[in-house]
Amino acid sequence: MAQLSRRHAVAGLAAVAAASTTRTRSVKAAEPVTVWWTQGFYEAENKAVVDKLAAWEKMTGTKVNLTIMNGPDLITKLIAAMQVGDVPDLVHSVTGDRFLVPRASWDDQLVDVSDVIESQKGEFHPTAMLGSRFYNAKLKKHAFYTVPIKCSTLMEQIWRPLIEEAGFTDADIPKTHDAYFDFFQIVQDKLRAKGKRIYGLGYSMAAKEADSGTLFHHFLVAYGGKDIVLPSGKLNIDDANVQKATVTALERLTTPYKKGYVPPGAINWGDVDNNNAFFAKQIVMTPNATISIAVAQMEKADQYYKQIITQGIPLGNDGEPVPGILAVSPCLIPKGAKNIDAAKDLLRSFIKPDNLNQYLKETRGRFLPVMMSNIKSDPYWLDPSDPHRHVAVDTGLSKPTIPWWMNYNPAYSAVLSEQIWSQAEANITQKNMPPAQAAEEAIGRIKTIFERFKIG
Amino acid sequence: MSLARRTRLKRSVAHLAAIILGAFLIMWSLLPLYNMVRVALQEKEDVFSSHVIPISPSLHSFWTVFDTSYWLLASFWGQMGNSLWIGIIVASLTLAIGTLTSFTIGRMRIRQGWMLTNAALMTYVIPMSFLAIPFYGIMGKYGMTDNSLAVIAVEVTFATPYAIFIFQQYGASIPLELDEAARIDGASPPQIYFLIYLPLMAPALVAIGTYALLLSWNEYLYAFLLLSTEGKITVPVGLGKFLNSDEAPWNYLMAAAIVYAIPPMVIYYSFRRKMSSGLTMGGVKG
Repeated sequence: MAQLSRRHAVAGLAAVAAASTTRTRSVKAAEPVTVWWTQGFYEAENKAVVDKLAAWEKMTGTKVNLTIMNGPDLITKLIAAMQVGDVPDLVHSVTGDRFLVPRASWDDQLVDVSDVIESQKGEFHPTAMLGSRFYNAKLKKHAFYTVPIKCSTLMEQIWRPLIEEAGFTDADIPKTHDAYFDFFQIVQDKLRAKGKRIYGLGYSMAAKEADSGTLFHHFLVAYGGKDIVLPSGKLNIDDANVQKATVTALERLTTPYKKGYVPPGAINWGDVDNNNAFFAKQIVMTPNATISIAVAQMEKADQYYKQIITQGIPLGNDGEPVPGILAVSPCLIPKGAKNIDAAKDLLRSFIKPDNLNQYLKETRGRFLPVMMSNIKSDPYWLDPSDPHRHVAVDTGLSKPTIPWWMNYNPAYSAVLSEQIWSQAEANITQKNMPPAQAAEEAIGRIKTIFERFKIG
Repeated sequence: MSLARRTRLKRSVAHLAAIILGAFLIMWSLLPLYNMVRVALQEKEDVFSSHVIPISPSLHSFWTVFDTSYWLLASFWGQMGNSLWIGIIVASLTLAIGTLTSFTIGRMRIRQGWMLTNAALMTYVIPMSFLAIPFYGIMGKYGMTDNSLAVIAVEVTFATPYAIFIFQQYGASIPLELDEAARIDGASPPQIYFLIYLPLMAPALVAIGTYALLLSWNEYLYAFLLLSTEGKITVPVGLGKFLNSDEAPWNYLMAAAIVYAIPPMVIYYSFRRKMSSGLTMGGVKG
């Protein structure tokens, strides 16, 4: 009897322990999820994420504390949060793939989300997959530290009325790289001759934010510098073709500026300022990281459907397609997050193909889907009556693309953060340095940075 | 040319140069403000126009700020309330801590009190921005992130050393005989503080109160780092969101900035009279 009682007592204690564990788990699951999300360029982008997270909140009963902040500020705040260990549970940073994730993965500051990716592995675009894989120096291995949400490549936005005023039509716009950008210098000359104070080219050239880097690297690839970093992570900048491409890209970007074909203020443009200059009709065209310029004018049917032209990146000077550099806007979970399970659950739900597609449509398609099934199953993306979206899909998802080089080696993230190429442009435009010398200085600095990041 | 005429000419040239320099300085100071008003009076599409005077000025932007009908302004008045709350508390705490410290050091003559004054000023050797991460860490450890008290604590920390220094210097000009006379009449230290010290310090109180208010009113870095929730952020952080939009709402941004500048101006001018009246109260009657 005494033994029976003891057994009962042990069983009873075990039951209490099990019950308390279960209770702890359920309480933990109900803890709120703190989410930081990059602010959209227009209201619909914010509303789409608010709605999606509210739906998940309703479905699971887990409260979501959502904070929306602008892109550069979010990265600053997240770096501060990671340094002190007080981090949110889930973050979406539009430019995080370039400026934040590579080095955070290297330093083992992010949660491995391979299991989340696994839930939709077959769906993702191959370059988006490559763009979500980063190297962890502590564990000495590559893993998925981000979940791709949306992507984009460089697009060209042009004012049709200004082209026509200069006596041209869309068909007159050349197809190959140099001729393409030279064309807008001719347009400027013709418009200036008519007394219009206007610039042909809206090149972002500031040593800040993302647009200027995106533009430079597109030029770099167009001139044959695609292999600046090899997939093994090795810096290949001593390659003669790459070196030549760096000098040509710098020269071709800075010469129009020096000749007055780019607004003087472009050396200080943030990511939104080329858009603003375009809307103000200060420039005839601007290369932009997404089709946001057109999309922001969707309510103005005349502008959206008739006046703004969206084009993909021009062909190379040899007539061959130039691969687009696919930027992947990711979600990530910082290490030290209090509610990792719920954050992963939210992510798994968010990236279900229908959910993700609906979210991207609600953001008006400024960014491209990362899942090919979205394109195939939903006519929205290739709708020929929309003059912008299908062009972006064709450029970013159908034509050849490459990932950013920080997926091969995080050192390139430091190259972008330090704005080394934009500084080289500034050396040419502000200090009259010859492009070859500016490239040489930049290359020297890049080699120093790469010394700190040895893969393997 | 006679000497008198030459002197007159020299004086006229100097006068003209002074006028030109003055005009240049006025232009230099007022041009940004004028540009703010000019942009605020224009429609969104016209803000990049090169017209010095708006072609068809309208108060539409100001009205949009008041009725918060633009998406980035939806929480403007809530943010204004947050800024006001933080500003007033920071100013009040700075004045309280600053005057109590300077009174204790200067009037009660505690030993080695000068060391505290000098040590406080030493805190300015390190720029405010350098301390952002340590402060963020401290507030995180206390569980005070996303809490306006964290911003208040930071702002008071940065405003107080300067307040102590100024109060200490200004207090030195108030004759100690006043305190001694009060003490002979039986006044306690709190009575001397409230009935003699504070009224005579009124000009310095207004100046430092305004300084502390403006410091927190215009603060961006700490407010941005320490506050996250939409309902808790201040106006500068809210206005920072304008710089990330494709819709180029510079007219709304400028209108909001002008509206945001009104409360500290009203507060300053309401208390300014105290400044001059306080200045005339400093005499010791025989």
